[in-house]
Amino acid sequence: MRRPVSLYGLTFSLPLLIWQLLFFVFPLLFLVALSFWTVKNFVMSPDFDTVNWTTMYGRAVFWQAYGATFALAAGAAALTSILAFPCAYAIAFKLSDTARRWAVFLMVIPFFTSYLVRVYSWQIFLSDNGIINVMLGWIGLGPYPLLNTVGATMVGYLTLSFPLVVLLQLFSLVFIDRTLIEAAHNMRCGRVRTVFEVVIPSARVGLVIAALFAFILSFGDFVSPIYLGGGDPTTLSILITDTTKSGQQWPRAAVIALTMIGTLMVVAFAAVQFAYKGKTK
Amino acid sequence: MQRDTLVSFEGVVKRFGSFVAVQKMDFEIRKGEFLAIMGSSGCGKTTTLRMLAGLEAPSEGVIRLSGKPINDLPTWSRDTPMVWQSLALFPFLNVRENVEFALKMRGIGKVERRRRAEQWLDRMQITEFADRNIAQLSGGQRQRVALARSLVVEPEILLLDEPLSALDAALKVRMQSVLKTLQRETGITFVYVTHSQSEAFSMADRVVIMSRGVIEQIGTPQEIYRAPRTRFVADFLGSSNLFSGRVRPGAAGGVELETPAGALKLGGDGVMPADGTTATVTVLDTKTHLSVTPPARSVNVVPVRVVGEEFVGATATVYLETPQGQEIRVQKGHDELADLPLGIGQDLFAWWEPKDGHLVAEA
Repeated sequence: MRRPVSLYGLTFSLPLLIWQLLFFVFPLLFLVALSFWTVKNFVMSPDFDTVNWTTMYGRAVFWQAYGATFALAAGAAALTSILAFPCAYAIAFKLSDTARRWAVFLMVIPFFTSYLVRVYSWQIFLSDNGIINVMLGWIGLGPYPLLNTVGATMVGYLTLSFPLVVLLQLFSLVFIDRTLIEAAHNMRCGRVRTVFEVVIPSARVGLVIAALFAFILSFGDFVSPIYLGGGDPTTLSILITDTTKSGQQWPRAAVIALTMIGTLMVVAFAAVQFAYKGKTK
Repeated sequence: MQRDTLVSFEGVVKRFGSFVAVQKMDFEIRKGEFLAIMGSSGCGKTTTLRMLAGLEAPSEGVIRLSGKPINDLPTWSRDTPMVWQSLALFPFLNVRENVEFALKMRGIGKVERRRRAEQWLDRMQITEFADRNIAQLSGGQRQRVALARSLVVEPEILLLDEPLSALDAALKVRMQSVLKTLQRETGITFVYVTHSQSEAFSMADRVVIMSRGVIEQIGTPQEIYRAPRTRFVADFLGSSNLFSGRVRPGAAGGVELETPAGALKLGGDGVMPADGTTATVTVLDTKTHLSVTPPARSVNVVPVRVVGEEFVGATATVYLETPQGQEIRVQKGHDELADLPLGIGQDLFAWWEPKDGHLVAEA
C-alpha cells in the first residue's frame, strides 16, 4: 500500500531532493548535452552532433588510457584490500576493546591532512635525491628511479584509500559471530584455513564494498598518476585535463567523463550484486 | 580408572582472572552414556563443556579423553564436536555445505563427502532442504542441521550446549525424543549442558548437578530425584520437603531428629549421623501424605495448615505451613486429594514413612 506524502515527511526530504537535482542531476544532464556540442575555432556552440563520441571512441590513445586506468584502479583495489586485510583482521580479533578504539582513532587521523599534501610528501621520499634513495646510498645502493613510476602511482592510491578500506573491512569483521569461528575450529578447521573458510565469507559484503571504494577512488584520481606517476601511463583523468587544454575541447572531455561515470556505475552494480550473491532477504 | 571411561576430569580448575569458574572437578564420563550437566547460569557447566571441547584450557588438573591427556590439544586437533546454543550454522553455506564442512576439513573427497552428508540429511529428515539457505529454515530444522553437521564425522562424543533453549515448548519435547533416540541408536556419548531439569531428567542416563563451580551430585535422575545428596540439590530440584535439626537417640530405638516441627524418626538407609550433630532430612513431596485426623502411628506427624493449592495437570500441589512457619509441599493425584478439605486455613496433619526420609550432606 502506498502511503500518502505528508508535509512532515516533505520538510525533511525536500532539501535533499532539491540539492540532488541542482548539483547532481542537472549537471549530469548538462554533461550529456555538452557531449553533443561542437567546437569551431576554439568556440563552443550548442549542437546535436555525435562527432565527439565518434572521435574519442575512434582514438587509440583513449582506449589505451581507458585500459590503463581500469587496470591501475583494479590493481589498486586488489592491492589495498590484500594489504588492509591483515591490518583490519588484527584490529578486529587480536586487540582489546580499548586498543581497538585507539586503532580506529589512528585510522581516522590521515583524513585530517589533505590528500594532495600527503602525495607531495611522498615526492620527498621517492624522488631521486629523496629520503629513500639517500638512505639506500648509505649502504651503497641506488639511486633507483622511484618517482614517476607505476609503483609510485600505486603508493599514491594506497595513501588515498588504505585507511578507508581498513575501516570498512574492520566494521564488517567486528560483527562476525565469534561462535562461527569457534565452530569452524571445533570441526578441525585450522586457524589460517578458518580465515578463508569462515571469516572472509562472513565479511564478504564489507570486503567487497571496501574494494569497490578503493576502485572508485583510484579510478577517478588525478593527483597520484600526475604527481607520483609523472603522467605515464596517461589515465582518463589526465586525458580530461589534456583535452580541455587543447583547443577548448570541453565536449570531448564530457565524453570521457561520461564514459568514466558509466564504467563506475557498471562496476559498482556488479560489485554489489557479487557481494550479496546468494543472500535472500 | 574403569575400562568404559571415555573422559575423565582430574582435579580440573578453571580461573578467569580472579574468578574461579570451576573448582577442583573430578568426574568421569562413561562410553556411550547420555550425561547431562545441569545447574543455574554461572555454575560452570558451560565452561566445563568448553574445556572438554578445547575452547578453554584448564588452569589446573588434567582432562583425559580415552586415557590420553588432552589439555594441550587445540580444539581443531580433537574429535569433540559441539552443538552451540546459537547452533553456529554458517549462514554463507547452504544446508548440504554446512553438513559437509567437517568432512571437507578432514580432506574427504567430494563423492564420499556427498554420500555421507546425504546419509545424515536423510537420517535427520532434512533432505528436502539440502539446497536451502540457513536463513530459510525454521528453528527445528536448523536444530537438525546442527546435529547432522556435528554427527556426520561419527565422533565418539558429542557436546551439546543448551541446544534446545531457543525452541518453543512443544518442539523442545519433540527434539528431546529425537536426541534421546539418536543417542541410543548411534551409541555416541552425549554430554548435554542445560539449566532445565526436565530436559536433563527426561534424556540423561546420568546427571551432574553443579553449583558455583562445584559438583553437588552425580547420579541417575532417579537417584537424584529420590535422594538429593545436598541441600542445594534438594532446593534446586524443589520437589522435596526439608527438615533440619539435632540428632539424638530415638525414644523407640533408632535415631531421631529434633526439629522445630517436632521429633522426626530417621529411616534405615545409609550411615546414621552421630548424636548431637545437626542433620537435614529430605522427603519427596509425593511421599508426604495428608490426613484430617492424626494417623494411628505416632512418628513423623507434623500439624500443618493449608495456605494454597495449585493444579499442575494430572496432579495438584498443596502448599502448607507448620506452626513454626516452615513451608511444606504435598503433591498428589486429584483422586487422592478429593476427600480432603483443602480450604485455605484448614488444619491438617502431614506425615511420611521414616524410610522415605533421606539424609543430605550438610553444606
